[in-house]
Amino acid sequence: MSFLDSLRVEEMPVNPVGQSSVLLLALAWGSYAQADVDFDRDVRPILSATCFHCHGPDADSRQAELRLDTLAGATDERDGSHAVVPGKPELSGLYLRITSNDESERMPPVDSKLSLTAAEIAVLKAWIEEGAVWSEHWSLQPLVMPPAPDVPDNFRNRVRNDIDRFVLNRLAKMSFTPSPEADRRTLIRRVTFDLTGLPPTPEQIASFLSDTSEKAFERVVDRLLASPRYGERWARHWMDAVHYADTHGHDEDAIRENAWPYRDYLIESFNNDKPYARFVQEQIAGDVLFPDDPNGIVATGMLAAGPWDESSQMGIQDGTTDKEIARYLDRDDMIATVMNTFVSMTVHCARCHHHKFDPIPTEDYYSLQAVFAGVDRVDRPYDRDAATARMRSQLLDEKTNLEEGHVANDVLLSPDVLARVAEWEQNRPVSEWRVLTPESVESSGGATSTRNDDGSILFNGKRPETDIYTIKARVSSQLITAVRLEVLTDESLAHQGPGRQDNGNLHLSEFKLLSSAGDTEPDPVALHKPVTDFNQNGWTIAHALDGNPKTAWGIYPRTGQAHHAVFELQEPIDASDGVTLTFVLEQLHGGGHLIGRPRLSVTGASNPSETASLAAIPLAIESILEVDAAKRTVEQKSELSLFHLKRENTLALAALPQQSMVYSVAADFQQKGNFVPARKPRPVHVLKRGNVLTPIEPASPGALSCIDGLDSAFQNIDADAEGERRAALAKWVSARENVLTWRSIVNRVWQHQFGRGIVATPNDFGRNGSHPTHPELLDWLAARFRDSDGSLKNLHRLIVTSATYRQSTLHNERFADIDRDNHYLWRMNRRRLDAESTRDAILQMSGLMGWQMGGPPARQFVQSSGIHVTPTIEYDAFDVDSPAARRRSVYRFIFRTVPDPFMEALDCPDASQFTPKRTSSMTSLQALAMWNNRFVVSYSQHIAHRLEKESTDRREQIRRLVELAFGRVPTDVELNAIAEYADQHGLANACRVIVNSNEFMFVN
Amino acid sequence: MTESQSSRRNFFTDIGGGFSGLALAHLLGADSLAQDAASSTDLNGGLHHPAKVKRIVQLFMNGGASPMDTFDPKPRLAELHGKQFDPGEGQKVESVTGSPGFKVLKSPFEFKQHGESDRWVSSVFPYTATIVDDLTFLMSMVSKSNVHGLASYMQNTGFTLPGFPCTGAWVSYALGRISEDLPAFVVMPDAKGLPYNNQGNFTAGFLPAQHQGTLVKASAANPIAHLHAPSDASFITQQSEADGRQLLQQLNQNHLERNPGDSRLGARIESYQLAARMQLSAPAVFDLTEESESTHKHYGLDETVTADFGRRCLLARRMLERGVRFVQVWSGPAGPSNNWDNHSNIDKELPYIAMQVDQPIAALVQDLKSRGMLEDTLIMWTTEFGRMPFSQGTAGRDHNQGTFVTWLAGAGLKPGVAYGQSDEWGWKAVEPIWCYDLHATILHLLGIDHTRLTFKHNGIDRRLTDVHGHVISEILA
Repeated sequence: MSFLDSLRVEEMPVNPVGQSSVLLLALAWGSYAQADVDFDRDVRPILSATCFHCHGPDADSRQAELRLDTLAGATDERDGSHAVVPGKPELSGLYLRITSNDESERMPPVDSKLSLTAAEIAVLKAWIEEGAVWSEHWSLQPLVMPPAPDVPDNFRNRVRNDIDRFVLNRLAKMSFTPSPEADRRTLIRRVTFDLTGLPPTPEQIASFLSDTSEKAFERVVDRLLASPRYGERWARHWMDAVHYADTHGHDEDAIRENAWPYRDYLIESFNNDKPYARFVQEQIAGDVLFPDDPNGIVATGMLAAGPWDESSQMGIQDGTTDKEIARYLDRDDMIATVMNTFVSMTVHCARCHHHKFDPIPTEDYYSLQAVFAGVDRVDRPYDRDAATARMRSQLLDEKTNLEEGHVANDVLLSPDVLARVAEWEQNRPVSEWRVLTPESVESSGGATSTRNDDGSILFNGKRPETDIYTIKARVSSQLITAVRLEVLTDESLAHQGPGRQDNGNLHLSEFKLLSSAGDTEPDPVALHKPVTDFNQNGWTIAHALDGNPKTAWGIYPRTGQAHHAVFELQEPIDASDGVTLTFVLEQLHGGGHLIGRPRLSVTGASNPSETASLAAIPLAIESILEVDAAKRTVEQKSELSLFHLKRENTLALAALPQQSMVYSVAADFQQKGNFVPARKPRPVHVLKRGNVLTPIEPASPGALSCIDGLDSAFQNIDADAEGERRAALAKWVSARENVLTWRSIVNRVWQHQFGRGIVATPNDFGRNGSHPTHPELLDWLAARFRDSDGSLKNLHRLIVTSATYRQSTLHNERFADIDRDNHYLWRMNRRRLDAESTRDAILQMSGLMGWQMGGPPARQFVQSSGIHVTPTIEYDAFDVDSPAARRRSVYRFIFRTVPDPFMEALDCPDASQFTPKRTSSMTSLQALAMWNNRFVVSYSQHIAHRLEKESTDRREQIRRLVELAFGRVPTDVELNAIAEYADQHGLANACRVIVNSNEFMFVN
Repeated sequence: MTESQSSRRNFFTDIGGGFSGLALAHLLGADSLAQDAASSTDLNGGLHHPAKVKRIVQLFMNGGASPMDTFDPKPRLAELHGKQFDPGEGQKVESVTGSPGFKVLKSPFEFKQHGESDRWVSSVFPYTATIVDDLTFLMSMVSKSNVHGLASYMQNTGFTLPGFPCTGAWVSYALGRISEDLPAFVVMPDAKGLPYNNQGNFTAGFLPAQHQGTLVKASAANPIAHLHAPSDASFITQQSEADGRQLLQQLNQNHLERNPGDSRLGARIESYQLAARMQLSAPAVFDLTEESESTHKHYGLDETVTADFGRRCLLARRMLERGVRFVQVWSGPAGPSNNWDNHSNIDKELPYIAMQVDQPIAALVQDLKSRGMLEDTLIMWTTEFGRMPFSQGTAGRDHNQGTFVTWLAGAGLKPGVAYGQSDEWGWKAVEPIWCYDLHATILHLLGIDHTRLTFKHNGIDRRLTDVHGHVISEILA
């Protein structure tokens, strides 16, 4: 075993496709002299793995005050000696210590369990001998576009674009040759799956084969990039990276009804080829940076895409240790989502200590915590339509102005406003809500009550288990079309009510109204069309009219705020001669779920539900109205106008289309149980060892300090303005100077097109990650992408039209002996279909794919209520012929803790974890899933039906089947074998065999 | 870690696809006889040192089993019963879901000493009391969280966050399968429902998906997903299956010849052969008519209250016998009742859930022992946290991460001993034992150095034990 072999054996396991192999391959092939030792590629990984624990960036754990992660640290004099003397290993303390025969002297120490191989020592020695040249870690080096290199003459005809120059140049150095270009059938199948996640149809194949033009392949590529299927495919890759799902995860894995608008945003963004910098900015702070764009809010769904711990956030009281931990962990997930995805840095290591390998101090990490200190994950309302959004924004501004009294008298007294007031005043008697003054109040349970001046009744004293309130009031001179029950808050109630229960809730079992004119027995009044501002899940206002005392209306978890319910009379009552109304509020649920402070009002409006949220006319306004219009003072006129403008504003807001919801982040929202909004950023501290019980100092918002030319501390930020922090991070990430961002995205795209990134660790560009196989190519792509238009479609076009991409997968044993993993791209990589592509390809082959885009996720399971929060989910019982089954897989409902066993068997990842790159396994459980899953079995029949419809000729059916599945024509031998099997066992069985075959499951 | 395992593992993280020869053998090993390829026989199946244990059955008491009402008697609580709980100056008393009050609550159950080891066991575990001399107790486990989800993740995966591989997945990843016919890692949830975190507790996290726990619904007609084609697919017959496999083999072989040099193609062909084997052998596991009437009775299959857990314990034994490496059996679903989360009334709730598992667990231990299987099998009795020494409401107990009991039994352990100690109230551990220590010890018994079993994810060489963990040598035989 040579020392290089020993390097491979002992060094490789640490790094799956490690940097060491680069040197290994280079040296093994003999084309690199030792002079080619590269510090960043070859030396730093050794120092990092072996020395940095005690002699690295973390000052807290540094031994002997020696640091080897900087040139100065390694070469400066320390006690008369130098760790590294360039050119002189025999004088270098480092070399002497690692080669010492004295065990007490030798580094690394025995108790560290670390060791250096002979090969590693040789590399270190060579490096010192060559002058100990230092370089910055590759990913942090300035990003400048390198010139495309020359290629040897014999490769010149293989160059289609500059990508090929980089790849061929490297192949030539290795004395490798590229594989020939793949045939057209292989190419179209490959590029169609890559760009759209689907197989090409026989018609698309035929069209490509018959296109004799020079640019035939480019035309295919353009067609695919223009297809909406492209966005569906690439959004799914992005969803893996940001760990998107339609449930919260954690123990109470509740459904997120509104996660999907973010998924649709991704699909739309990819399809519209949104410039990448804008795409980045929108997802971090679109709500702040692009307030007029409805997508601005939806895009920030990225920050909320990961799991959320409902038990801790909603169940645990503020001020407890567990709650504080939950908040830090929640922000940790947001940080990781943003930093892993956009800049490929694993900052979460710095939560407990300075990063051991990368220049990321703990302070940087907590600066990022501070960026997200003002937000929580929550359903956030937004307007899908930009015009509505603008209108709402205007009305809300106007509302603030009105409430703060910022309206000048010349507006209030303008003829237009006065005319509107006059018109309203004329119709007022019937259209407004009029608060009733109760004449009598009874509690069947024995509660006491006091009547307030505003017409409300506060119940107090004994709190019975159940209660029936009977409230009488006299009404005259009004038509009555509807009655309103308001449940108001009060300081005396738990959580300020509005219920009397300890949690502030109430349950109204039945709401009844009776009416009597004079002294007659009251008659029941029929009510219908109940509306309310809020229904507790499963406790809707309809229950208060359903005649069933076991069901009721509730308002949990929206406690601590007033609510109302409006009931329309089936037949309006003419009260011009006066009537006595009797309201009966039955509250029979038990446990003290009683209304704390009700108030009743009536209206004669013809459309009472539209004005349900309007306040009744205050007494002060009533008294102005009693004054003859001509005799009112200027002050009275102004006050009345102001009141009326507020009223118009309220009605205009209520008349806007209902807002949509997206699961995103927000600083303010309705409190739910113990889940309370921050409103302004919460204090965040740098924590010792990541422990919330040992805070060190307050953290201020910022990002990473390791990028040259980018300020990591966010300056001039309003301490209370949460959004400014995220906006600053968005700009930091998308800055031209952020070399990580540009390298990260081109590497991701490359990875999905080749199956392996130029950097094999797409989420880790740190010193523990892989070194790029083609660093110059990576920089060329990144710089070009940054400096042109940030167009992902142009990047795809460039990559897939290169000769490198168009190579065949042809095996070469000689090259494989040296480079078995094909790091140098002497052929194309063969790839197994991922779970979604497998399912979608089968659907497309059946001809039954439903191409509908967007909308709520397709629940491909049967759902029933569970024991607790999480519903019971059964995938077996799902009807695979229902429309939901025929949606593309990107629209599947992703249940974090109850995943689909079929998709899981095909390596669909755990959605609680970031998956920058999927695994691709071949196991017996996967074979069983493909062979026996109900979807596969059923759609094998559907494919057969399609084929039988298209042709009655068996051989023609088989030809078509093979072309649908493999994109090629079967050989006679295959045709005979498959036809014979189909003759014996039916075409459906043959289809099942074909979709289970390797040729279907792999793309050449 | 040796080169061979590394290659096998690299395979799944890379799509290079150029593996052949040795790597192919390892790939097949990963799916089948990993252990022969990966670990050396002179280490008795271990990776880094000789293994004592080859297979594990973990019994998980979902909800947080109370220590002071089962195995860790606290006479001090009887003395202080009804008084304000006061652990002294500077000690912060918190209760995550309960309202404040903190009145000391004594155990309503009688404790007695049992066996030659004089181990204290309360009246809720009369059967377990008879086997205490075979058990090794860890008396002062601690957790980082008082919340079910986080604490369950911690006991299963070593992390409080979702998305990390559970112990069974790590063991599958490290050692592969014992048998070609059955999965390496099987999970049997309570018939009433999944535990907190649902299947999150059985996930492979970032490890290759194949290491995920195979979910077995012990009382369902089709206990394992995808084992057979849907019964209503009448176009599938025995003959169509046999001929179909042959045609598939023929097509794949032909494809393999046209596409040389890619070991995955051969591996996938092999996977269909293994699948066929599993289809034949797995159903036999569930045929309990093979077991004698006395065995049925022993495990409590004849009594309603013990039937579900007893059946799953018996199935666990049958799986271990047939080569499943790691079996996890859950007691209790998620939710507010029917599990070990006894918030309202410890006196009523605990005996009922304890009775469901007590007889079956004792039967399992005795059965494995009498069959000689305890020689290379480890049994673990675990829970996610303990309960408070003071009351919630009048008679319940809230969650307590401060101290709780786990017991082990089987190969490589000192039987009849207890390690660790909680304080006088059972509030906090005096000698804390973390899940890291438990996991390190389990891996040690399997012949694995917990610091060397790693998987690179998102820039970090992840371990089951994070950056912690000490093998608890005091309990090793």
